[in-house]
Amino acid sequence: MEGTRRRFLARVGAAGVVGVAGCTGGPSDTGGDGTPTDGTDTRTGADDETAVGMVYATGGLGDGSFNDQAQQGLFEAESAFEIASQEAQPEAVGEFGSFQRQFAESTDPDYDLVCCIGFLQTDALTSTASNYPDQQFMLVDGVVDTPNVSSYVFAEEEGSFLVGQLAGSLTTGEFAAGAGGTDPESTTVGFVGGVESDLIRKFEAGFTAGVEHADEDVGVVTNYVGDFNEPSGGKEAALSMFDGGADIVYHAAGNTGTGVFQAAQERGRFAIGVDRDQSLTKESYADVILASTVKRVDTAVYDAIEAAVEGVFDGGAVVSLGLEQDGVDVVYGQQLGAEVGADVKDAIATSRRAIVDGDISVPTDPDDA
Amino acid sequence: MSVRDRARRALQRLVEASATERALISLASLAASILVGAGIVLVAGRTATCEEAAFVLATPRPFGVPELASAGFCYDPVAVFDRLFLGALGDPASPGWDPLNGRMATTLRETAVLVFTGLSVALAFRAGVFNIGTQGQLVVGALATAVAVLWAATFVAGVVGTVVLVPFGVLVGAAFGGLYGAIPGALKAYADANEVVTTIMLNFIASGVALYLVRSVFKDPASPANQTIPLPDHALFPPLLFAPQFGVSILALLFGLLAAGGVFVLLRRTVFGYDLRASGLQPAAAEYGGVDARRTVVASMTLSGALGGIGGAVYVLMVLGKFQTDVPAYGFDGITVAILAGNNPLGVALAAFLFGVLKSGTTVVQFATDVPPQLVGVLRGLIILFVAMPEFFRLLGRRVLPRNRAGGDAVAADGGSEPDGTDSRRGEEP
Repeated sequence: MEGTRRRFLARVGAAGVVGVAGCTGGPSDTGGDGTPTDGTDTRTGADDETAVGMVYATGGLGDGSFNDQAQQGLFEAESAFEIASQEAQPEAVGEFGSFQRQFAESTDPDYDLVCCIGFLQTDALTSTASNYPDQQFMLVDGVVDTPNVSSYVFAEEEGSFLVGQLAGSLTTGEFAAGAGGTDPESTTVGFVGGVESDLIRKFEAGFTAGVEHADEDVGVVTNYVGDFNEPSGGKEAALSMFDGGADIVYHAAGNTGTGVFQAAQERGRFAIGVDRDQSLTKESYADVILASTVKRVDTAVYDAIEAAVEGVFDGGAVVSLGLEQDGVDVVYGQQLGAEVGADVKDAIATSRRAIVDGDISVPTDPDDA
Repeated sequence: MSVRDRARRALQRLVEASATERALISLASLAASILVGAGIVLVAGRTATCEEAAFVLATPRPFGVPELASAGFCYDPVAVFDRLFLGALGDPASPGWDPLNGRMATTLRETAVLVFTGLSVALAFRAGVFNIGTQGQLVVGALATAVAVLWAATFVAGVVGTVVLVPFGVLVGAAFGGLYGAIPGALKAYADANEVVTTIMLNFIASGVALYLVRSVFKDPASPANQTIPLPDHALFPPLLFAPQFGVSILALLFGLLAAGGVFVLLRRTVFGYDLRASGLQPAAAEYGGVDARRTVVASMTLSGALGGIGGAVYVLMVLGKFQTDVPAYGFDGITVAILAGNNPLGVALAAFLFGVLKSGTTVVQFATDVPPQLVGVLRGLIILFVAMPEFFRLLGRRVLPRNRAGGDAVAADGGSEPDGTDSRRGEEP
């Protein structure tokens, strides 16, 4: 009995070693002379390297939208400048302050810039920034008014206005493309939000205003799922909208929006994506994604890092990124975009100019719309 | 010897283990979990891709013999566990260690909240009620505390304010958490509704209603987040030794330890505690012996809810300084803490500290290495699983083994007078 067990263990061990050795990944350079390469090299680095710390929003990397978009900005900066970076993905709101402090206190390396992603970090950063006045921070989606924080906010309602106009124009006519089609009889569109908050309500306000701008008779049904990471809830909400006559549903619900795409495919209707070009990031739904509003969080991160590298960090500034600054925009779906009529696209381009010129003012609260 | 007999013998040994042996078993489990975890880190380090190796395993090279093989790994298991445990305490081994550092503060902060949620779950468990609803009770208590203290803070200020407001906030949290816990208690006692189902459902109701109230009634108009207006500093737990931005108070921690002692005394030294434990062990016998089973269920759930509510009050008055939706899952972690502690109130304090170390250590690992947080989560789960399993099998053994085999010797061996709640049960069993 003992013997068998020992043999078994030996076999498992051997299999494990073989398995580990057979893995295709691992470091690309294990150090030919057998000297362990110090993993911390990438972070400590030379003196002329700019050290950047990233504190992501809860939800973490791999969300296919907000955090990934921020990381994209970091990647772009990494290929353009000599920088070393370290990333942190907090699991809860209480951890924001803890990570911000660790970056601010660190001396090896001494971080030149700490990027804080997401409006929930605002309160934690307000306290951290005043406790570490020598540390430079940047904040996305919120404003902290201290001389060492550069704040970036987006005009989400402006991008949402344009896709609202797109939805309002298409729902009244007969439009079929990819896996979807609209019902000319019914003139309703839908909006699915994640957790109801002022930020997500900006999307709703812009969308509603855009729909109204296209056609005053089109109704908008709205639903907040209460979660940014619950595709099944998003699907239920969208299904009931489609069954109630909606042709096109726009979402601002993070991963919950994946359910909206599923529902659109099931019912042969359309959806509009958010934050990134979702006909690319959610490729399997490209046949129902008419367009996406993009929010260039990557631009904000890149700009802040560039400023830190060049030593022109603008602390205390609030950078507002709207259509005019290319901070938000609309991208048509990879597969369906070409099918949208030129007249609709022209009208949207006209509205875009009008918003940039200030001729159209887009509300930020749906109650004001 | 058949497998069955072997299993029985193993269970028997666990059941009869003395306190020292149990401590040693826990330490051995911890060591085993670290070994297994290190293996997983290495395997994950091979499957991941990176530019430079963080850790290299090579065959030894005595007398300049050329190296036969070497393998590089993307993640360094030594660094991971070093950061997870030592990092969480702010490097106690390094010279110039300041016990009041930020990492230690995070550890103690998590510990302080988890002591209460752990006690909440443990107390209900001891009464034979599975309170999965500590999270909901915590949310209700936290919101009630934030709103009530915000209202009361306008009347008093300064040090007097702190002396009045903090106990007031804790009481409000306890009252609302207790009431919210009493609902599933009453449903179980008088309508025979399974408490697991009702408490889980009430968790959703609590967070849904809290979101509605914070959005539409108590919202801070100055913040884009769904949160109440921040409380003034004099309404919060005073930080005392730690720097104020760390969000930890020694007072809250001491309060947690006091609560653990209080629950211990309550269970062991009071008539109510005796009734509660008796109902938990053998409801029919307890009722036959004169215990009002219904009242005991409602009372224990109320008390359990109150402890959860105090956890919420501590979260608001120490960690955040306001109520914000998306409360971290302290209530669910409390279930793990209680199981880890074998439902012993004093053990809860230790288990909460271990949990605090793991939670705080996770952030340090993330900060100091390239290991993804998901992998650290796996390691955390492994450690908890390994440490909890012997205790779990011990409880199991006490149930499945025949009385004469499970009892007898053990009582003689440790005198049956171990200062430990779980063991004393044996004496009261009929």
